Amino acid sequence: MQEHHHRTDKQINKELLSSIFATPKWWPIATLFCLIVYLIGMTAFGYMLNKGIGVTGLNRPVFWGFYMVNFVFWIGISHAGIMISAILRLTQAEWRRPITRSAEVLTVFALIAALQAAPLVHVGRPWRADLWVFPYDFSRGIWINIKSPFIWDPSAVMTYLTASSLFVFVCLIPDLAVIRDRTKGIVSKIYGFLALGWRGTPVQWKLQIVAGILLSALVLPVFVSVHSIVSWDFAAQIGPEAWHSTIFAPYFIIGAIHSGVSAVATVMVVMVWLFKWDKYITPDHLDAIGRLLIIVATAWFFFFFLEWVYALYTLESPELAMRELQVFEMPWRALFIVFVITAYLFPVPMWLFKKVRRSFLWMFITTISVNIGMWLERFLIIVPGLMRKQPLMFNWGSYTPSMVEILMVCMTFAWVFMGMLLFARVFPLIPLFDIKEGMLVRDEIKIGRAKVPATIRE
Amino acid sequence: MPTSHDSHQQTQFSKQADLTEKLVELHVSKYNKNRIFLILLSALSLMGLIGLIVKISTGFNNPSDWGYYVTFVAYLLTTVQAAPMVAIAPFIAKGHWNRPISKIAQLFAPLGLINLILFIPVLFVLPSLSDGRRTLWFFESLKMNSHMPHIMTSISFICLVLLGIALLWISTVPDFAILRENSKNPYHKKVFSILSNRWIGTSKQWFTQKHRIGILGAFYFMTLVIVNFQISSDFAMSLIPGWIDALYPITHTANSFQAGVATVILAMFALRTWGGCKEFIGFDQFWALGKLMFALSLMWIWFFFSSFIVFWYGAKPTEKAIIELSMTGPYFIAFLGSAFLLFILPLLTMPFNKIRRSILGPTVIAFFILIGSFLDKLRIYVPAYQLTEHPNKHNIYLSDIPKAILPDVPDVMIIVGGISAIILAFTVLTKLIPVISIWQQKELSLYKIHKKFHRTEVLVLGKPE
Repeated sequence: MQEHHHRTDKQINKELLSSIFATPKWWPIATLFCLIVYLIGMTAFGYMLNKGIGVTGLNRPVFWGFYMVNFVFWIGISHAGIMISAILRLTQAEWRRPITRSAEVLTVFALIAALQAAPLVHVGRPWRADLWVFPYDFSRGIWINIKSPFIWDPSAVMTYLTASSLFVFVCLIPDLAVIRDRTKGIVSKIYGFLALGWRGTPVQWKLQIVAGILLSALVLPVFVSVHSIVSWDFAAQIGPEAWHSTIFAPYFIIGAIHSGVSAVATVMVVMVWLFKWDKYITPDHLDAIGRLLIIVATAWFFFFFLEWVYALYTLESPELAMRELQVFEMPWRALFIVFVITAYLFPVPMWLFKKVRRSFLWMFITTISVNIGMWLERFLIIVPGLMRKQPLMFNWGSYTPSMVEILMVCMTFAWVFMGMLLFARVFPLIPLFDIKEGMLVRDEIKIGRAKVPATIRE
Repeated sequence: MPTSHDSHQQTQFSKQADLTEKLVELHVSKYNKNRIFLILLSALSLMGLIGLIVKISTGFNNPSDWGYYVTFVAYLLTTVQAAPMVAIAPFIAKGHWNRPISKIAQLFAPLGLINLILFIPVLFVLPSLSDGRRTLWFFESLKMNSHMPHIMTSISFICLVLLGIALLWISTVPDFAILRENSKNPYHKKVFSILSNRWIGTSKQWFTQKHRIGILGAFYFMTLVIVNFQISSDFAMSLIPGWIDALYPITHTANSFQAGVATVILAMFALRTWGGCKEFIGFDQFWALGKLMFALSLMWIWFFFSSFIVFWYGAKPTEKAIIELSMTGPYFIAFLGSAFLLFILPLLTMPFNKIRRSILGPTVIAFFILIGSFLDKLRIYVPAYQLTEHPNKHNIYLSDIPKAILPDVPDVMIIVGGISAIILAFTVLTKLIPVISIWQQKELSLYKIHKKFHRTEVLVLGKPE
C-alpha cells in the first residue's frame, strides 16, 4: 500500500463510530425502502403459501427455478467473507484490514438470504418441515438417503452460518468494548454484555488473535465443502443434461469467489460513498481487490470453458442438443450472451487498466455487472437442463417466472441491504482494532533515495 | 555530518559485500565435490539408457507393455517440471520467504529436456485418432489431423522446456555477472561473461529483468497447465472407453503442484545437509513449503472426492466400471497407497506443530508424497494402455476390466535410471549456476531490517509495489 493516511486512535474512534453515535441523514430512508421491499416480498410469500406453489412459474418438468437460482447465488455471495477475511488474514495481506468485517457480515446475511430463498420456500408445504424432521418418523421404515447431497446441505450451510457468525462476533469484541466505554445507561450495559468483559489485557489480546487465526483455518474446509455440496445437488443427478459433470464442485466454488469478492468490492465503494470513509478505504485497496478479481475471474472463465469443452467431448446427442439450446435458441441465446459479457468480457478487460481499478465509480459498475452475470449463469445451468430432462419431446417444458418469484428474489436482496444497514447502525463496519493495529505495524524503509512501505513482523 | 541513515546504509552496503563474498565462495566450493556420488549416478543413468534401448527394440505394437513407461513420463512432468512453480508463484505475489530457494526450484526447469527426450517414444505408442475414440480435437466433427494429440502435445512440451530454460537464464543473469566479476579462473570468467549477457545492473536492466521474469513465469505456468491437460486427456482419459471426467485434468495439474513442492523440499533438504547451504535454507522455508504442501494435499482429496461422488452417486454402468478399473479393482493397492500417502499421511501428521514446524517433518512427508504421486499416476496410465486394444469408439463403454500388470525389468531400469539422470543433471547444473540466488539475497538484505520497537526488537519487512 503506497497510499497511507495516518490516523490517531482518537480520530479512528471518532470517524468509524460516527454512524453509530449519529444517524446519517440517508439512513432512515434507505432502511425504510429496504424494509418495504422486504415486506412486499413476505406478502408474496404469504400469498404463495395461501394459494399454493401454482402461483409460481414452477411446473413439470422445471421444478427448480428462480428460488433455486437465488439460493445458489446467495450461497456464492457468502463465500466473500471467508475469502477476504480468513484467507487474507492467514496470508497476512495488510490491505484486508478495512474490509474484513463488512465481508464477514455480508457472508452472514447472504447465508440467511440463501435460507430464505429456497429450502423452506419452494418445497410447497414448508409448514410440514418440522413434522418431517422433529421427530423423524422411523416407524414408516423409510430412512433418509444419507448418500444424497441434499441431506448434507443443511448441515453444511448451518455449520458455515455458525462459524461465520462466530467469526464476526469474536472479531467484534474489542470494538464492542470501545463502544461500551463511550456510551451510558442501558446502551452501555448491552454493549458491555456483548463485550464479554473485554479489558484489553495482553492475555485477552493473545486469545483473541489465536481465536481469529484458528477460526480462519478451521472455517476454510467448511467454506470449500458448502458450495461443493450445493454443486453436488446438481452434479450427482443423471437426469438433467449438462448437470452430471465432475467439474461442478470447483466450478461453483470459483464462481462463488468471483461473485463474492465482486460483492465485497461493491460494498467497499458503497461504504466510501455513504459513510465518507475514503481515508480508510483508498484507491489502493480497490486496486488490490481489482487485481485479485482479475485472477479469480480468469480462473472462473477457465473452468467455464472447461465445462463446455468436456460437455462437447462427450459427443452425446442429448448433451449437445442442450448446449445448442443454450447458445443458439432464443431467449436462451440472449441470456447467454448477456451472461458472458457481464460476468467476464466487460469487467475483466476493464480491470486490466489501473485507472479503472482505482476508480470507485468504475469498480462499482464492473462488480455489479459481474453479479448480474453470475446470477444469469446459475439460471442458465439450472433451468435449461430441467426443461429437456426427459428423453421424450412431449415431456419437455418451459419456464416463465411469475411476479411472486420476482418479488421474493427482490426480497432477498432487500434483506441483505437492510441487514448491512442495521448492522452499520449498531456496530462498526470497519474494525477499529484492526485499523489501529495496521497503523502500529506500518513502517518505512529507506533504500537509497526511495522509501519503501514496510510492515513490522514478529 | 553522517546521519543515522548514512550509517544504516553503510552497514547495509558492507553487509551486501560480505553476503556476495559468502555466496560466491559457497558456489565455487562445489566445483570439485561429490565425485563418487556423480559416478554412481552416471552408472545408474547408463543402466536406464540401456533399459530404454531394450524397450524400444521390442517395438510399439503392444501398448500395454508401455504403460509403466508412460506413467514415468507423466510422473516426471508432474514432479520435475512442476517444481519451478515454487519460484514463480511467490515471485508474482512478491513474497520474500522463497528468495533462498527460488533458484533451487528454477534449476529443475531445464531437466524437462530429459523428459522431452523420454516423451518421444510415447508418441509412437499413442494410437492415432482414427480408432474413433473421444478426443479434445474433435477429429470426426472438425476433420482434424488424426495425429493432433501427438503434434499439439509435442509443441506444448517443447515450449514448456524452452520457457523453463529461458526463465532460469533470465533470472540468473545478475548472478552470472557477479560470478564474472569474482571468478579467479579465466575459463570460468569467460563462460560467465557470455552467460551474463553484458549485464552491468543499470536501472533499466533491473526493470526489464523483473518484468521478463514475471512474464516468463506466467507463461510457464499457463504452458504447464496446458501440457498437463493434454497428457491427462489425450494420453490417458481418451484411451479408457466411457471415461468422461472434466475434473481429471485439473486434478492432474493440482497433483503436479503438490508433487512439485515435495520435489523442491527434498532438494532443499539435500542442499542444506550436504550442499553447505545451511545458513540460507532455514526453518522458514521448510515451514512455508510444508504448509503449502499440506494445503495441496487437502486440495487433492477435494478434487478426488468431487470426481468420485459424481461417479459413485450417478452409478451409471460406465461410471461403476471406471471406479472399479482405477480404484476398487485390479489397481486397488495402488489407489490405497496413493490415497494414504497423498492425503491421509499428511492429514495425520502436518497439523501437528512439532512436525510441521521442523526441517525433517516436511522432508519425510514430501518423500512419501512423491511415492504416492507415482502410484496415483500408475493406477490411471497403466490400465489406459492396457485398453488401447479394446474397441474404443465414443459410443462403446468399458465392460471388461483387465487384470493388473507389473512392470518388467526394462521398466524398472528406466525408472531408476531416469531418476538418477535427473539427480545427476541437477547436481551438474549446480556446479554452473549458484543454488542460492545472490542478487535475490542481496535484495532481501535491503528490505529486511531489525529495529527497536518499545521494549523489544522486531523485524521490519519492506514490501515494494
